Amino acid sequence: MFGLEWYLGISLVLFFVGIAVILSRKNIVAILLGVELILNSAALNFVAYSRFVTQNLDGHIFSLFIIVIAAAEAAVGLAIVIRYFQINNTIHVDEAKELRG
Amino acid sequence: MTVSLLTHLSFYLPEAIAILTMCGLLFVEAAYGMAERGRTLVYITGIIGMVLCLALLGSNVGIAPISLFAKSVVIDSFGTSMKIIMVLGTLGTFFISDKSTDIYENLKSEYLIMATGVLVGGMLLVSATNLLTLYLGIETLSILSYVMTSLKRKESTSQEAGIKYALYGGVTAGIMLFGMSHLYGLFGSINFADIAVGVKTLEGAKFTAALVSFLLFFVGVGYKIACFPFHMWSPDVYQGSPVPVTAFFSIVPKLAGIAVVTRVTMTFFSAESALGDVWSIFLQVIAALTMTVGNLAALRQESVKRMLAYSSIGHVGMILMGVIVMNQTGTNAILFYGLVYMFMTLAAFFITGFVVNRYGSDDHVFFRGLVKNYPFLTICFVLVLFSLAGLPPFGGFVAKFNMISAAINSKLYSLSFIAAINSVISLYFYIRLAKTMTLDQPDEETEELVEYTVPARIYLAALTIPVVVLGIFWDKIYKVYSAATIALGG
Repeated sequence: MFGLEWYLGISLVLFFVGIAVILSRKNIVAILLGVELILNSAALNFVAYSRFVTQNLDGHIFSLFIIVIAAAEAAVGLAIVIRYFQINNTIHVDEAKELRG
Repeated sequence: MTVSLLTHLSFYLPEAIAILTMCGLLFVEAAYGMAERGRTLVYITGIIGMVLCLALLGSNVGIAPISLFAKSVVIDSFGTSMKIIMVLGTLGTFFISDKSTDIYENLKSEYLIMATGVLVGGMLLVSATNLLTLYLGIETLSILSYVMTSLKRKESTSQEAGIKYALYGGVTAGIMLFGMSHLYGLFGSINFADIAVGVKTLEGAKFTAALVSFLLFFVGVGYKIACFPFHMWSPDVYQGSPVPVTAFFSIVPKLAGIAVVTRVTMTFFSAESALGDVWSIFLQVIAALTMTVGNLAALRQESVKRMLAYSSIGHVGMILMGVIVMNQTGTNAILFYGLVYMFMTLAAFFITGFVVNRYGSDDHVFFRGLVKNYPFLTICFVLVLFSLAGLPPFGGFVAKFNMISAAINSKLYSLSFIAAINSVISLYFYIRLAKTMTLDQPDEETEELVEYTVPARIYLAALTIPVVVLGIFWDKIYKVYSAATIALGG
């Protein structure tokens, strides 16, 4: 019923929503959410191609790896954000501009 | 099946040793702490591990390329030579971290553990011949790098650098994955060899789709080597990180990224590939912009770490020239440039580290008249700066000369011209620092440098001598590298 085009369309929408979130939101946690959207759009692509085009398991395995690594990356990212919050009492990106040359 | 897996593992021993070193460091630190005795033990474990790794890599030099683990990695001379440079660089930053007070004393073991982890990721990246191993390598490299950046836990700048690194890194990795997923759909495989076959006969809509996917894929790799549109994070991260971490970042992740760009370019975009011409022009534009932007921005930097960050962006642009020529001369030039660049960067950051130890800042003014009290240190730094600028008879000159001659041999005249101009621009900011150290008057109350001991002087000499020697006896090392062919696909 739903062909490959549907899945590719949804993943493309997810991808651009992710990019829009990253560009527009100023809260660091919100930006991390945008990154997750992009990663999930890629994972969805892999599974869809695996099911409809290539008929092999490479895509499924790849998407599992993406989920695991996304979790690891989010954990490290949030840990650093927490440290930053403890020092500066803010997680607004516009405040993070001490490093300039 | 089990037997063949064991044979495969025997070629993968250097990586296995690096992983074991990482675990060993964790155990030693947990068992003995970072007090006097534990600290020595941690450093000895790290150094022994790296030396073993070097020895095993040495035994892999010169063997015929071999594909391992269901064609997901390949062991070839190019990769092995690159790994040797990376392991040497890691070992070098171990010594820098020993002398630096920029890292908290009780976190030095963490630095060693994570640097070894990044090295493992880099080694995987260098030999990856499969989209999945490539992605795993990049992420192992990146995730540990974010932590290393924010190692100065109590300082806001370090955390800010970590956040910037993690956010840029996450976004570019996501974009790269999106490109990879479409490559998988277009070519039906994640193996480089299968994709390379598919690339040869592209046309029409598939051609455009593949080109866009490859460009998205390049975002992730380009971010790791900090080439032009994706270089914005690099100066901030370099300035915010502790000195040994900065030295590490400008060697290991960067060289691993260069190696993967070389492998990808030579596998997918050789002369018979449909995308070859477009990709070559794209890389030429990127290389020219990277070196120009890096060198021009370095001109007005007051922080020496930031200046070295921009200068390393300039060097990456230069190394990309070797990627574009896509032949043996190019890979030789890349390896030689990598080796010399490793020694120069280590020496430059080691010396900057002493100034940071003393004054807590790496601003230009703190280098004023350093020659009065520390003539040996200053002479070493001036030699290294001349080499970075590419003046004969130092290693940096030979590296740049080989790179430009490789480009001219492949008729890349305009790019070579831009590279030559950039060499001249870079002369200004290197010589400016040399002048600050030698001709300017020091402030009234010059203070003793911290940790500037006799072993530190010996280590400094050990870093500076290769820079000079490589400039004079470069043909010897070149003979070794001329056997370093790159294995395609796998």
